[in-house]
Amino acid sequence: MPEKRYAVAQVDELALGQRKIIDVGGKSVGLFNVNGEFVAVLNYCPHEGAPVCQGRVSGTTLPSAPNEFKWGRQGEILLCPWHGWEFDLTTGECLTDRRKLRRYQVDIENGTLYLVLNDAARATSARE
Amino acid sequence: MTKKFFTVDTDIHPGPDPKRIMDFLPQPWRTRYASGNRGPGHLGYWNPNGYMRSDTVLPDGTKIEENPAALAKHFFDDYGIDYGILNPEYSLAILLSPEAEFAASVASAINDVFVQDWLPVDPRFRASIMVAMADPQLAAREIHRLGDHPGIAQILMPSASPMPLGNRYFHPIYAAAVEHDLPVAIHPGLEGVGTSGAPTSAGYPSNYFEWHTGLVTSYIAQLVSLVTEGVFARFPTLKFIMIEGGISWLPAVMWRFDKNWKALRSTTPWLDRPPSQIIQDHVLLTTQPLEEPENPDHFKAIVEMFDAGRMIMFSSDFPHWDGDTPDFAARAFPKAIQARVMGETAREIYKLPEAVYA
Repeated sequence: MPEKRYAVAQVDELALGQRKIIDVGGKSVGLFNVNGEFVAVLNYCPHEGAPVCQGRVSGTTLPSAPNEFKWGRQGEILLCPWHGWEFDLTTGECLTDRRKLRRYQVDIENGTLYLVLNDAARATSARE
Repeated sequence: MTKKFFTVDTDIHPGPDPKRIMDFLPQPWRTRYASGNRGPGHLGYWNPNGYMRSDTVLPDGTKIEENPAALAKHFFDDYGIDYGILNPEYSLAILLSPEAEFAASVASAINDVFVQDWLPVDPRFRASIMVAMADPQLAAREIHRLGDHPGIAQILMPSASPMPLGNRYFHPIYAAAVEHDLPVAIHPGLEGVGTSGAPTSAGYPSNYFEWHTGLVTSYIAQLVSLVTEGVFARFPTLKFIMIEGGISWLPAVMWRFDKNWKALRSTTPWLDRPPSQIIQDHVLLTTQPLEEPENPDHFKAIVEMFDAGRMIMFSSDFPHWDGDTPDFAARAFPKAIQARVMGETAREIYKLPEAVYA
């Protein structure tokens, strides 16, 4: 299928940590500003189909020794609103399962964010 | 959504309005409830994602689970639920209060809210009669008060209890249930709360994850108690529904149970056949939270080890954090029993009519 590119937001609409959920090309897609990087993922949890982009964006506890808690990765972790699965927005990977979020390429031109659909293989985020 | 099965959801959690509960509470309990007292509370374990799904709020601020019409439209309609059993949210802890009259009065008031405010809203709704554990005679009285209402599907109790549920202390509840031809169901979540024993047979876990994973142990203990104490010999028409307690452990426990029966039957001479047969004639399990092995065929193999087509009923647990959708649940089971799991078994157990479409 040919690529389809959609203008979906202005860069200054999405401050650090903010998101926008967009209906585009027949899909619901979440666009996130993850520490200055713009990331787009399909709003569909690969586990049971929840609207995953409505979940909380958070940090998480980093791997540690028993009885130690180290907080990190603030702003990079998306928690599914149904079952609480943690997804790494910077890669789409789940922290506890092999299923991943479907990511889409984001381009930035002249302050406009473009979403590129049908292009999962080359999915990349964009940094201004 | 394409609808493949007649679907009965056997565990939905609507949240009753505390102001309406107060309308049905006599004094002195109304004043006490109004002051904020809700009985024993909880242990304080923490689920980082919240135990309620965070996406059930409509644009106007309505929580789907707190409004009967919203529940019908945004849950029953959207997921193709033909009938659903309403098991009250925010309500189970009171059933383990040591204060018998307060607990029984609050349980009655909550039951009244569902009979008066919820059942009339949609013909797909069915309600449970909640009964408190501190005085089984008061529980039986509540069953007699509401047991013949056509919208009542079952009796609901916590799976946590001051002693195992087979004990004769609880028999007045079962006697009343069979008198009205109603199943008795248990629901987890209060293990360790109120007059319950410790949350697991090993004692107090250190966090929610450990506690929640271990809930299955109270189900095993309750099941073994119900059978050995002769509850099903005494009440041969009783059906007992174990909500949200897991499935995969059942065959292993039945094998151990049968083996012990062969040696120890003389200690319980009222057990006239192997425990596994008694269980398959009287006990039902609900699906959620489905166990999800890496290889889904492993789960299908386990449910082929017992009469799952007669014993398992779909449940969503909406709107809790660990709920399952109907299509996800159906796929987990062998094709030959999917229709029974999704609705046909529940239709028989709850004596539901053919599907209605509101």
